[in-house]
Parts: sequence; structure tokens; C-alpha cells
Amino acid sequence: MDTAFRKINIDIYDEDVLQDSELYEADPRDPAEVLEDAKQRAGMVRSLLAKNDIPAALTVVLENAPYGPNVDDAKARILVVDIMTLQTLLTILNTTKSADIPGVIKSLSLDTQDTLMKYLYKGMAMPGWGDVSGSVLLGWHEKLTEVAGVGCIVRTMTDRRIV
Amino acid sequence: MSNVLRPYLAAVRSTLTAALTLDNFASQVVERHNLPEVEAGTSKEVLLNPLTISRNENERVLIEPSVNSIRLSISIKQADEIERILCNKFTRFMMQRAESFIVLRRKPVPGYDISFLITNTHTETMLKHKIVDFIIQFMEEVDKEISEMKLSLNARARIVAESYLTALQG
Repeated sequence: MDTAFRKINIDIYDEDVLQDSELYEADPRDPAEVLEDAKQRAGMVRSLLAKNDIPAALTVVLENAPYGPNVDDAKARILVVDIMTLQTLLTILNTTKSADIPGVIKSLSLDTQDTLMKYLYKGMAMPGWGDVSGSVLLGWHEKLTEVAGVGCIVRTMTDRRIV
Repeated sequence: MSNVLRPYLAAVRSTLTAALTLDNFASQVVERHNLPEVEAGTSKEVLLNPLTISRNENERVLIEPSVNSIRLSISIKQADEIERILCNKFTRFMMQRAESFIVLRRKPVPGYDISFLITNTHTETMLKHKIVDFIIQFMEEVDKEISEMKLSLNARARIVAESYLTALQG
């Protein structure tokens, strides 16, 4: 007798089943706009890095960072933006001297610190990709936890707006 | 603790401390059931974002938090074939005796070598910081243990080969 039907999850056909989209508010911006924005930011970051203004560069990348998986056909484009933002961020992280890190982190706002933590975990989740270096990210993670506390990690875990 | 390993373990420690805020939570799907939500995966609103901490491609830790349980999976460094075999035997030995370790899972999550499942019962009956210490100590020891085993294996192989060949010579 065929028993495959026992494995069917009937709960997903329930009327009031929770959808992924109900867990968080989607990014209101248009994907094309976000992509344009990310390009602009990369340029701004480069000029700020040339001036050695690392806190300002970090704020530029982390404020209004693109988040969430996009449901439309623009998913591929969103991925490009994600990768681009991460790439820009990693350039900043790699260029910062380890002695400067605590000062830089302290100058960031609370929200920016949370977003930075999200990106640190994202970077660590994809080792061997690009110039992701575990030791740099771990160094930043340690300093950020010292400044922002464990609460910052909890907010990273609970925030559904995944970067 | 070696200086190279310290930031990695510090990151695991802080993430694990953050994740170990567990509460008793009955299943929303099946009445009178109380399952570790991270294993059941039936209601996604109680699952939190999984976090990965990695030193490099081979050494990484995956922490999957949820409202009443967390799952922590470790990928152990395996440089060569011997280390791979030793690691496999070692983790298998422990996982067959999982109930003595209480928080150990009987099977690792795919892609990892060993997994722990910590539920709210564990955090209620045991001290939370001791559980964190246990995991960190395990991670410290396991690398040491495997490299020690590798050394003694090589030494033993050398002695066996020597005595065998001297017998042949005589």
C-alpha cells in the first residue's frame, strides 16, 4: 500500500497559515532604486576611505542597508546588491587598523551597530568567498560584543529583516 | 588556550550565551506536545535566524536558535585522511553514548561533524554558564585530542613496523 500520503504536511494548506511575508515588513524601495543606491554608496565609501574617515564610511554602508529576500523576479538583482554591500563593507573592515576598531564602533549609532553585527555573521556564513577573512571578522565581532553587549547578538537573531 | 583560537571561541561563547535564552513552549501544532521547535520546525515564527561563526572553511559552528531549544553544530578541523578517520571514530563513539552527555545529539546536522541540542529543560536543570563552558571546553579539547591521537597512532605504527621488520631480519 502506498504510504507516501502520510508524509504530506497538511498544515500548509490551512487558511490562516503564517506566510513568510507576514513576519516582517518588506523593503519598500524598488529593487532598481536599491541597486542604484548601492552603487552610489560604494562610490561615497571609496572617497571617505581615501580621507581615512572610517566611522562615516561605515555609517554610509550600514544605514538603510538593503534587506530581506525579495519575492519578485528582481531577486537576482537584490542578490547583486547584497553582495555589493557586503563587499564594500569588507573593504572598510579590512582597511581599519585593529587599534582603531573600538573607537570606530563606539561612534556608531545603536541601529548601525546591529546592522554591522548582521553583516559580520553574514560574512562568516560564507567563508572562502571573496576576501572574507575569518580572523578580521572575528576581531570585529569581539570588539563589537564588548561595546554593544550580548543584546546586539540577540537582536541579530530575532530581527527578521535579514541582510 | 592558544592565542589563535581565542577570538573564535570568544565569538562562540558570546553567541551561545545570547542564544541560550530559552523558555518552556508547548507545540502550537499538536496539542499536549512539547517538542524542541528547532527540530520540529513546524511553526516558523518561533525559529530565529541561524548564525554561523567560522574561522575558515573547515572550522565553523552553526547555531540555530528557537524559542525553547537551540541546536549547535560543530565542524571540526580535519587536515588529512588520518584526521578525518580519527574525527569520525571519535565523534561516533561519543554520539553512541549521547545520553551520558545529555545535550549531545545522536546525529550531526548535514555538513557538520557533531551537534548538540540544548532545550529549556537543560537550561532549567543545569547552570547556563556551565553549559556554555562545557561546549567551549569541548571545542578546545577536541582539536587537542585528535592531534594527540594522530601522534600516538603514528608512533604505534612505527613501533609495529620496526618490530615486524626486525623479526623478518632475524
